[in-house]
Amino acid sequence: MIELKGLTKTYAGKRVVDDISLTLESGEFGVLIGPSGCGKSTTLKMINRLVPLSGGRIVLNGDDVTDLPAEQLRRRIGYAIQSTGLFPHWTVAQNIATVPQLLKWPKSRIDDRVDELMAMFHLDPVEFRHQYPHRLSGGQAQRVGVARALAADPEVLLMDEPFGAVDPLTREVLQAEMKRVHQQTGKTIVFVTHDMDEALQLATRIALLNHGRLVQYDRPIEMMVTPADDFVREFIGQADLGLKLLSRRWVHQYQRAPSLEHHATLPGLDHCWQLDDAGRPIALEGARLDDDSERTEVKPEWTATPEMSMKEALSRMVWYRVMVLPVIDDQGRLIGEVGMQGIMGIQAANGMPAS
Amino acid sequence: MNGTIPGVPRLRAAAAGNLRLGALIVLLVALTLGMAQLEPLFRALFPDLGNPLYRRDSFLNLMLAHIGLVLVSSLISVVVGVAAGLFVTRPAGREFEPMVSSLAAIGQTFPPAAVLAIAVPLAGFGFAPTIIALTLYGLLPVIQNTIAGLGTVPATTLEAARGNGMSASQILMRVELPLAMQVIIAGVRISVIINIGTATIGSTVGAKSLGTPLIAGLVGNNLAYVIQGALLVGLLAIVTDLLFERLERHYAFGD
Repeated sequence: MIELKGLTKTYAGKRVVDDISLTLESGEFGVLIGPSGCGKSTTLKMINRLVPLSGGRIVLNGDDVTDLPAEQLRRRIGYAIQSTGLFPHWTVAQNIATVPQLLKWPKSRIDDRVDELMAMFHLDPVEFRHQYPHRLSGGQAQRVGVARALAADPEVLLMDEPFGAVDPLTREVLQAEMKRVHQQTGKTIVFVTHDMDEALQLATRIALLNHGRLVQYDRPIEMMVTPADDFVREFIGQADLGLKLLSRRWVHQYQRAPSLEHHATLPGLDHCWQLDDAGRPIALEGARLDDDSERTEVKPEWTATPEMSMKEALSRMVWYRVMVLPVIDDQGRLIGEVGMQGIMGIQAANGMPAS
Repeated sequence: MNGTIPGVPRLRAAAAGNLRLGALIVLLVALTLGMAQLEPLFRALFPDLGNPLYRRDSFLNLMLAHIGLVLVSSLISVVVGVAAGLFVTRPAGREFEPMVSSLAAIGQTFPPAAVLAIAVPLAGFGFAPTIIALTLYGLLPVIQNTIAGLGTVPATTLEAARGNGMSASQILMRVELPLAMQVIIAGVRISVIINIGTATIGSTVGAKSLGTPLIAGLVGNNLAYVIQGALLVGLLAIVTDLLFERLERHYAFGD
């Protein structure tokens, strides 16, 4: 748990961080966001004391951070930054082992930990263990940077715009991986970004800062539905608010039992799935956007999984011109379906879907 | 060192480089030990000279004395230069950076002959004034390159080092110095090569070096002496330069 209490930073008489108080519970994914110069990075760097505090307190799992020697504190806190800051003269394995080395772990334990982290980030040890950073792609380097930050199993992970310097495609992949790693490790994460879509994708809590002050601290859904003021509303962006909401909804919240025979009388169910012997969907009869009577062969590109966001599901429906997607489990078996009507139906019935 | 698998052309180039360096070292040793064997050659080249081979001292002694001068002065230059470069890049010494840089630059602009002229009354003749002149002259490239090398360490790398809990001395030893090493060694290389050439003038104030036959030849109008001294100094400089090139390459990390 991290508590910021009246946190203040003054540079040359100017308050760049002004009386920020918030609590992030253990296991939460907190995102600090705001326009450039809002004090989000400064706030983050005060947590591991790369920037000294001018006022207020930071309490990390009960310990005031200023009570600990700075180096000792930083070894308890993972730190990943933009453009990685990997040590160019060390191999991938040496880079990941940075903090365990400083903590003087025995060699076998360090080796095991490096292997474990490389597996977690899908980096093949044979190929990458002894590779130097300049041989890595941007995405690979960033993975190593996050792996290094996690190496000594820190209590908290601080991330300062870690995906700011990679291309949009890689960024999406890294975001998905970060989400998975957060779920796998249950780490408390504080993440700085200026990209609202990234915040909505990753955060369980968003702190929106402006001119050094905390404007709103809320769950992503609440921030979208009940913005504190016009600044928040503007920063989130109104244009595709509906899609942004769907990016925080998951297929398993919307899926219903699959229709295995035609129901001409029930609206939205005048279609049916054909399954193979193993229960995998092979074709869809009806429910085409253009021709309702057509039979469509099921392709992996337009299937959905329960963990997929509804934004992604909707995108697949539109792109592949079907009104309904099959929801499949890891063996590819049909466990449900999610459709255009489903999206509208829940929205209409419950007003706003609960989180 | 940088984890790449060298391709065949690179292997060939490396093999050719090894061969060239080996040949030059053999030539240097052979000429140092066997200059006397070339006496007929010099006699044929300079028929007017009564004594076309320098015999007042063995070329081995001169070579060892020369290397000794360069080694001692360069060692002092490196220790003082790197220490000064480190000092002015730490928070405590940052304000001294302009002063140290200009002092080193002044040391470089003084002609070594002038330094010798000043040093002789203070330190007497021979070894000591030569060491003073060479040390002062070799200081600037070391200091400059130490400062420049430490300056090439990216800010994000330093931030990552601090953020991962390294102490100031750990950052210096594990991150800054290894990353700056290539540039620092380039500075030492310049300093040493300059001093191999400059050490010859030490002989004007009585320090024994490969400059001794050179000066004797210039004074006595004996071109053969000049060639014998210059040949060995030149070869020594080339071999040393090639050795440093290798050392530098050892500290190249990709980019």
